Amino acid sequence: MTEITIPPIDWRVATQLCIIFGWASVLLIIALFVPRSRIRVVGYLAIAGLVVAAGAGIPFWGGSAETFGGMLRLDTYSMMLNWLFLAAAAVVIAYSLNYLPKHGIEHGEYYVLVLFATAGMMLLAQGGDLIVLFLGLELLSLTLYVLTGFAYPRETSEESGMKYLLTGAFAGGFIVFGIALIYGATGSLNLAAIGDTLARAALAAEDRTYLYAGAALIVTGFGYKIAMAPFHMWAPDVYEGAPTPVAAFLSVGSKAAGFAALVRFLVEAMGSQWPVWAPALATLAIATLLLGNIGALIQNNVKRMLAYSSVGHAGYMLLGVLAAGAPGGMAGQRGVEAVLLYLLAYMLTNLGAFGVLIALEQRGELTWDINQFAGLWARRPLLASAMAICLLSLAGVPPTAGFWGKFYVFTAAWQAGFGWLTIIGILTAAIAAFYYVRIVVQMFTAEPSRETPAETDPALRAGLVIAIAGILVLGFMPAPAIDLVQRSVLATVGGQ
Amino acid sequence: MNTFITILFVVFAVYILVAAIMTVTVKNIVHAALWLISSFFTVGALYLLMEAEFIGVAQVLIYVGAVSILILFAIMLTRDLEGTQNRQMTPRWWIALIVPAALFGLLITPTVLTYQWQLPPPAPAGQSTPIAGAAQIGTAFVREYLLPFQVASVLLTVALIGAVVIAFEERERRRYVPTLAEKVRQQQRVRRPDPAASAMQSSETAGSET
Repeated sequence: MTEITIPPIDWRVATQLCIIFGWASVLLIIALFVPRSRIRVVGYLAIAGLVVAAGAGIPFWGGSAETFGGMLRLDTYSMMLNWLFLAAAAVVIAYSLNYLPKHGIEHGEYYVLVLFATAGMMLLAQGGDLIVLFLGLELLSLTLYVLTGFAYPRETSEESGMKYLLTGAFAGGFIVFGIALIYGATGSLNLAAIGDTLARAALAAEDRTYLYAGAALIVTGFGYKIAMAPFHMWAPDVYEGAPTPVAAFLSVGSKAAGFAALVRFLVEAMGSQWPVWAPALATLAIATLLLGNIGALIQNNVKRMLAYSSVGHAGYMLLGVLAAGAPGGMAGQRGVEAVLLYLLAYMLTNLGAFGVLIALEQRGELTWDINQFAGLWARRPLLASAMAICLLSLAGVPPTAGFWGKFYVFTAAWQAGFGWLTIIGILTAAIAAFYYVRIVVQMFTAEPSRETPAETDPALRAGLVIAIAGILVLGFMPAPAIDLVQRSVLATVGGQ
Repeated sequence: MNTFITILFVVFAVYILVAAIMTVTVKNIVHAALWLISSFFTVGALYLLMEAEFIGVAQVLIYVGAVSILILFAIMLTRDLEGTQNRQMTPRWWIALIVPAALFGLLITPTVLTYQWQLPPPAPAGQSTPIAGAAQIGTAFVREYLLPFQVASVLLTVALIGAVVIAFEERERRRYVPTLAEKVRQQQRVRRPDPAASAMQSSETAGSET
């Protein structure tokens, strides 16, 4: 019997992941011993774990390392995304602390599942290998299916969980098939190795067919995750049925993680094939921009409207992805920065908007009709202002975070030579402003049709304050955030 | 020897196909499960024929052993799901036939057109190595595939937690979930209402919607 030696592992790369995985497992056991009436303690412990994991990353900022034979990476790009995911998870848990008991669905497992989903997102940001990306995606999706159906006494929650499961499983199948075809064409699963193979020499015609078919399948699979048209149809139904904090988590974390992996795959592995995939992705970006924003225009349900608007925002981020792949160093780097800055702004804004929805939501009354916002200013001025700031940021009005996100994305796309695409982006942003402003008008001018009580609690308020403060700070002083984003580079893009 | 292997392969392959078709066409769901198990078993034999002994054994252990028991238990524990009187074919079954056939054709065409149908010469006797022995697979799992191996185990844990969270409803909150067969029967009754039962029926549907 030969002795098996495990190759040395660089634990610095996996520190944050290990903390989250380990803490989630420990919390699962702690939750057993916490009495039912005090189960929110588990939520506080989960937030503590997230904070510790975020802090543990600080010493490793700026470096670039990989381990597990290149399967796991840590560069400034993935570190930046990790912090985004950890912050989003912490805010979502803060939102849930009182939401869950209010809706009678308080279980310790909820917080544990959020932690596992966060770990899945971090794997997607750090993965340097198609197998790891797939496993991270499955870990994220699986937890989100459960969280979507978490309010199972309510049938809409169960229904949306089922819908999400079916479309998600379908998308997973696409990705596996795509990975198999790419392995067949290039003989490797490592993103960097695939990139090297493709950059070195042209493939045989037959292998090229497999490569493009595989890449198309993978983009389709991730397209489901980021709700890119025409794979966005699940989003409104799932957002509507899911418990609202979970919908916030879905719209922010799941989308950011999908983009993280998509950028890595397209830039790192398929970078040399940019002339081939750019026109295809540009077409999809146009479809996403139009379908998302026009779909949102006709919604009266605010939760569904936010779902369609998140589809539209995926379109803007796709502009950044297109620029990220552009050859010539500078333009590509601008694209990566644009995606990250947009994700940051979008995350803060969407978390804030969903936070207001949670405050307005009553148990057993599941309408998010636009009329509920009528006259909110007269009753709850602070809540109305918070919602107004979020909506203006979503619309991209200066001086909010959303403006800088859009500005950066459009500049990057313009520099990469997508002038016409930028114009379409600006036009759809103008369309989008209409439906965002419609709600603002409702809140400030319309007479309340009926009294809708709104409740906030300290944890929800804390989450809202963080989101709104983030939007305003980023809006008035974008320099630190832009500086941070400019230092976040994909190891292979800027590291050489 | 070669013809013997070819004959064995054809026998196995035909049996797998027949069993798979029987699985989806027989009316009794327990019989369908048994056909599925026999299909799993033959696939295991096919793996052995390809000298992939580890995958063959794993196939028998996991699919024939664990998965089939799980399926049978699920059938037994699900209330009232014999399904003998349910319709097997939808009115537009031919669409369901054409679309997958077209997709399959699309996928197989490049292979058929470009593949060189020349099999490599067989390895000289005594030199053939097993494709992937248990030892190699085990080594690969703790060396180059250590991370996916670990993440997959976390994935299974999460799936387990999720299944428990979703399936375990506390008694006071348990609500009546009709099985598929019950729903179908209910619809059939609605379609052909007999006067005596229609009054009871309407109260029943009203009750289930609240």
